[in-house]
Amino acid sequence: MNWSPAIQGLIEEFQEIESQFEKLETLMDFADELVPLPVEDWNESNLVRGCQSIAHIEVELANDEVILKSAADARMVEGLQGILTIAVNGNSPDTVLELTPDFAEEMGLLNTLTPSRSNGFRTMFDMIQNRVKELK
Amino acid sequence: MGDYMVKDVFPILSREVNGHRLVYLDNAATTQKPQVVIDAMAEFYSTSNANVHRAVHTLAGEATEGYEACRITLKSMYNAPRAIITSGTTEAINLVAHAWGRANLSKGDVVVLTEMEHHSDIVPWQMLCDSIDIELRYVPVQDGELDMDAFAVALEGASLVCVVHTSNVLGVRNPVEKVISMAQENGIRVLLDAAQAVPHETINFLELGADFMAFSAHKMCGPTGIGALLVNEETFAEMEPFMGGGDMIETVTLEGSTYQSNEHRFEAGTPRIAEAVGWNAALNWLGEQDLSSHHKRMLSAARSVSDALKERGITVYSRLGDSDAAVVSFNHPTIHPEDFARLLDAQGIAVRTGHHCAQPLMARLGITGTIRASFYLYNDQNDADALIAGVDKVLEAMA
Repeated sequence: MNWSPAIQGLIEEFQEIESQFEKLETLMDFADELVPLPVEDWNESNLVRGCQSIAHIEVELANDEVILKSAADARMVEGLQGILTIAVNGNSPDTVLELTPDFAEEMGLLNTLTPSRSNGFRTMFDMIQNRVKELK
Repeated sequence: MGDYMVKDVFPILSREVNGHRLVYLDNAATTQKPQVVIDAMAEFYSTSNANVHRAVHTLAGEATEGYEACRITLKSMYNAPRAIITSGTTEAINLVAHAWGRANLSKGDVVVLTEMEHHSDIVPWQMLCDSIDIELRYVPVQDGELDMDAFAVALEGASLVCVVHTSNVLGVRNPVEKVISMAQENGIRVLLDAAQAVPHETINFLELGADFMAFSAHKMCGPTGIGALLVNEETFAEMEPFMGGGDMIETVTLEGSTYQSNEHRFEAGTPRIAEAVGWNAALNWLGEQDLSSHHKRMLSAARSVSDALKERGITVYSRLGDSDAAVVSFNHPTIHPEDFARLLDAQGIAVRTGHHCAQPLMARLGITGTIRASFYLYNDQNDADALIAGVDKVLEAMA
């Protein structure tokens, strides 16, 4: 698949790292990329279910562009949310719906995660696409 | 046997994880297996595999001998009149609930539990409560220890006390001798969850005086999927079979069945034969170890970790008294336990996070989970030092 420049950049940055510890540090650095979802907007419908951490994501559309807002109590989950933010924010709904989560595998991201966190990533990805479908 | 020789007989400990020497500190979840256990199971499948107890051919005889040898070792090692082989501690406790509880308890009868119990010693009793309307009383935990005054009150009119010998979360060794003595004075049966105890001390079951004692092989160098329920003769006679099938019967007609009179009456179906052979090897190997000396070394290593964590502003929940297990449960004020443990794993250090199947205890402590480093007899000060260095690297990365 031809990835967007933003996603291609993610893949290349992550693939260059050999050490597992540095991969996790880089993952946590991506937490700086997320658009915060204020705690007063946390609710049952935007709760990420099945995640061992507390995590919420909300999707909005403005000028036909997707805006992902998110929050979590764990830095690594915030990092995953930051990666998803880079992947979807500013794109059209159609572009986001065409996206597949395979880019995370290509990054080598999923190997660095526990199975539950890996599932949490997929759950958040699916939540984003489902919400975009509803808003479109 | 010196520390390094102990480590050397556990082949998994020579592997690397994420480019680092494996520092395995998740022993309260499961322990690693010495070569003798691996060899015993491979040897069984290579030479003696057959079903047990009935067939007359040679392999069946060898398999039966191998399976029953485990029972003989259990009885001898723990001074137990009866040793029912189960799938583990959980099944052993469920066996008590069904085979003894249903036959001896009725509406309104009281079972005393503690807030320190593993879910496996809470849920079976709650299920029995739903089914036959017994009363459950929970002894509270104060400052990480059982409230013995509340325990004395809870005993009033009780039929059974279920208590964890050593906490899987805190490592606290409960005053089980006193618990049993108080229960016995009141004619109350006692079930001891010894899953975290037998890996560290060889308990004389009859001398201790409990009626039931449950534990698992995999927490004491044996295979997964097998454990035991030790029972004294008087209580054994009060138990009724609840799981029917092959191997547990004496005769079966279309009108009804009669059951074996020995432990087999509670071991329906083909049992865990290779696992029993492996566990027997583990028991014999452990029997050659100086557990007391290992315990002192483990405790010293765990205490050095506990001290180092406290110096770094980390909350430690474990008491680490002289008779406690070498378990260090801790939390950092701001770093999520899963992040912390994952960053340790990236350095080859295996610890556990979560509620450790003890949510009532977590509720009492006012937390949802901990990071837990649990030591076993192949762990030494080098492992403790590696953990402390690993913690420092995590703190640096998260600063």
